[in-house]
Amino acid sequence: MLDNNGSLTKEQDGVHDRLQESVLEELLETLRPSGPLGRLWLLTLGTVMFAGAAAYAWQLLNGLRVTGMREYVSWGAYMTNFVFFIGVSHAGTLISAILRVTQADWRRSITRMAEGITVFALMVGAPMVIIDMGRPDRVLNVILHGRFNSPILWDVCAICTYLSGSLLYLYVAMIPDLAMLAPKRAAWDRAPWKERIYLALSLGYQGTAEQRRLLERALATMSIIIIPVAISVHTVVSWIFGMTLRPGWHSTIFGPYFVIGAIFSGTAAIITAMVLFRKAYHLEKYLTYRQFQNLGRLMLALNLLYIYFTLSEYLTAWYGSEVVERRLIDLLMGRNLYGLMFWGWAVFCLFLPALIVGLPRPKTLIPRLVIASILINIGMWVKRYLIIVPTLMTPYINPEAAGAIPHYYPTWVEWTVTAGGLATFMMLFTLFAKFFPIISIWETVEGVEELGAERIGVEVTIPKAKPRRRFQTAPAFLALPLLLAALVGIGAATRQASPSFTLTARGEGEDKEVVASLRVNTNSLAGARVAFFVERAFGRLPIGATVTDDKGVAAISFPESVPGATNGVLKVLAEVTAPPEWAGAQAKAEFAATLPRNLVEEPFPRALWSPHAPFPLVLTLLGLLTIVWSTYSFVIVQLVKLRRAAKTM
Amino acid sequence: MNETRREFLQKSAVAAGAVGAGLLASHFARGCEFEASEADALKPVLTTDGKLVQVKAEQVKPVLIAAKRDPAVREGVAGRKWVMVIDLAKCDGCKNCTTECNKMHHTPPEREWLRVFRMKDAHHTAPYWFPKPCFHCDNPPCTKVCPVGATFKRQDGIVLIDNERCIGCRFCMAACPYSTRYFNWGAPQNGSMTECDYSPETGFPRRVGTVEKCDFCPDMAKAGQLPMCAKSCTMGALYFGDENEDAVTNSDETVQLSKLLEERAGYRYFEELGTEPRVYYLPPKDRQYPGPLLKKKATT
Repeated sequence: MLDNNGSLTKEQDGVHDRLQESVLEELLETLRPSGPLGRLWLLTLGTVMFAGAAAYAWQLLNGLRVTGMREYVSWGAYMTNFVFFIGVSHAGTLISAILRVTQADWRRSITRMAEGITVFALMVGAPMVIIDMGRPDRVLNVILHGRFNSPILWDVCAICTYLSGSLLYLYVAMIPDLAMLAPKRAAWDRAPWKERIYLALSLGYQGTAEQRRLLERALATMSIIIIPVAISVHTVVSWIFGMTLRPGWHSTIFGPYFVIGAIFSGTAAIITAMVLFRKAYHLEKYLTYRQFQNLGRLMLALNLLYIYFTLSEYLTAWYGSEVVERRLIDLLMGRNLYGLMFWGWAVFCLFLPALIVGLPRPKTLIPRLVIASILINIGMWVKRYLIIVPTLMTPYINPEAAGAIPHYYPTWVEWTVTAGGLATFMMLFTLFAKFFPIISIWETVEGVEELGAERIGVEVTIPKAKPRRRFQTAPAFLALPLLLAALVGIGAATRQASPSFTLTARGEGEDKEVVASLRVNTNSLAGARVAFFVERAFGRLPIGATVTDDKGVAAISFPESVPGATNGVLKVLAEVTAPPEWAGAQAKAEFAATLPRNLVEEPFPRALWSPHAPFPLVLTLLGLLTIVWSTYSFVIVQLVKLRRAAKTM
Repeated sequence: MNETRREFLQKSAVAAGAVGAGLLASHFARGCEFEASEADALKPVLTTDGKLVQVKAEQVKPVLIAAKRDPAVREGVAGRKWVMVIDLAKCDGCKNCTTECNKMHHTPPEREWLRVFRMKDAHHTAPYWFPKPCFHCDNPPCTKVCPVGATFKRQDGIVLIDNERCIGCRFCMAACPYSTRYFNWGAPQNGSMTECDYSPETGFPRRVGTVEKCDFCPDMAKAGQLPMCAKSCTMGALYFGDENEDAVTNSDETVQLSKLLEERAGYRYFEELGTEPRVYYLPPKDRQYPGPLLKKKATT
């Protein structure tokens, strides 16, 4: 029914149509209205979301004092959630994009779920930063007064780019399915408004050769560009910590450590999601042993990598044992709550999952993966918590030296908002699965046709397989610079004394002197003690003192080492200190200072701290953004062409 | 000493007709309303043509005018480079600086813009008191990371915070290696300061969800007065001045900065972090007080 204009599938005696119909019918079951269990699930999620929203409203009313965050520990559960959810979002990139680019056959039934996780985890993760803000009402300042010097701006750019890209990616890969959903179908009853939405979203896709070519080009381009974007996102997230001068954060491996952690937790998240959907929607035919086995192996590989990175990170800190790092290690691994959390995490959420997944027992694979992925998910939250909190507790200047003991425990508000975030994520995913097929129908059908059900790891029976069609790859030149670019991707009361007191300068060069002459009633005053000062911002700087000679003259060498005031002038003041009857008599004079003032020519250079970012940083950022967004534009142009191709028929 | 000496200003102007100076705008303390404290003491007052004159405090009367926020507040005073020197040999840990600073800034309890630490670097080394204000670094890590430019560095070296722009992300707090910054977690008690016109130079009124810290008292410096901590240090351990003038002043004398740093082997704390602090320390050699070990001081 899709192809009525001489496309490839028409020649296959209706095999394609029959296969597609049967797959479609099975997968459309997921779009049926929820049963009682489903409604209970939605109700539970809704309640938790409401509780989270209420807790956040409470926080808005009272300020962040309702959280456990205080002096020293100024980031806590919310930042942990932020890093956690951005990490989970990496599922989509890895499973979908990498597997698509490498043409892994078994990917077909899991790509949609993976892409969904990316979008929804980002939608929950990104607002966590706003929830953490003291002034969420001023969030627009980030645009109005944004500074490219700040890693937060890098994050804003990267996350916006990533969210847009993954939405586009999810959508492009769904177009053929949307086209299938649009027509009326006896077996599937749905509201007319849904039909209109599906129809509009499908861009008039009819599966013609031209449309397929355009779609595959768009998809291939997206699956390549989204990889460096995803890597850059989690790298930039790690740089929020890595760019600070804190022990435990200021680490060069933080970028890759976070990226690996993200893909690791993302894989665990998709396995959890797969198990849940498989159970809820009876997708055993589509999510088979094959997918679980391969994902399990992938997760095991990432698990071992994460062990390796963890070891590299903490071994160097422990072995080097710099004072501040030792304090951190003592707190993180010592006999206290954090030590308990750390070792508990290491044993149960790092080594145990590797052991469980690595067991050669095929029959229990899926239950083992469920346990491992849940442990990993919990563990990755705990790990991020352990990255953030103990480091904040051990700053350079030990707080205990001032009698302060930093402490932090998340309050009920933080726990409720966190639970609300998780519920929102699940709710978004559940609703998505209610409106759109959770398994890519067209890719599954295509895979069964071209490679056979067994090869792509689904249990769908078909009459006959078709000759293999090559997956069109995007222009390869896009990949290399983007990957590289993504990795680079930063008075005093004047006593009118009766003596006449004058102050002058005489001589040149080294012989230059400041001379005070003191006379009383035309007689020179000898033996009087005179102190000399230069006037400074907050007081008088003594530059010498001497006793007047027979001529009533007191001379000191000129203060060559003293710079002038703001206008380059030295205001010199002489004051009589003895004998007591003349004490306090003053004379003032201004001289040109010998020393030039130490003025900075440009008080606001393009430095990291100044209002304007250094040019190389701006150029790098804008360059990267231009590359990614022009690639997105290229994809959108393909979609426009695809829509036009439909109209011309 | 009136505790609320700083409670005035920004929108206050002072008429001092008695000295014939005409309308004088005073800029040396914080608050909304000028309160003459020591009747006989001389008050420096800034005249309209930029001169600083000494006027008897009792002759100074406040005239409140609607002063707009100084647009040059982000630029700072041209030609100045404020610098602080802390003599660890003189500090006896009495915390008078902290107390006076807190009073002047109406700081909530447990918040100390200037905190005195009891340091002991190693087992056998001598303990010493370590007063720590904001270092107003020349390469400030806090200012680097601010996403909105709410915290900024001025040409006179001072790092300030604009709490009308701050979004409360607390990245600066995480970035500051010296734990100098504080956050208004809940609604602050501004008391009589609530009605003040805000300026980053005074920090009043405080706002919920924004960051604050030691500001080197730029309003007092403008009026030729030392910051409150330096002014109130009975030991004369805290010096403040203009690096360009090569002079620093404590509560009783003015000395040449370069000479002081050379003679007393001045250093900056954690120089290796590259933050280039504007606060220098003089090592606690030949201490003028019994050290923390000998003299039991309450650290509360």
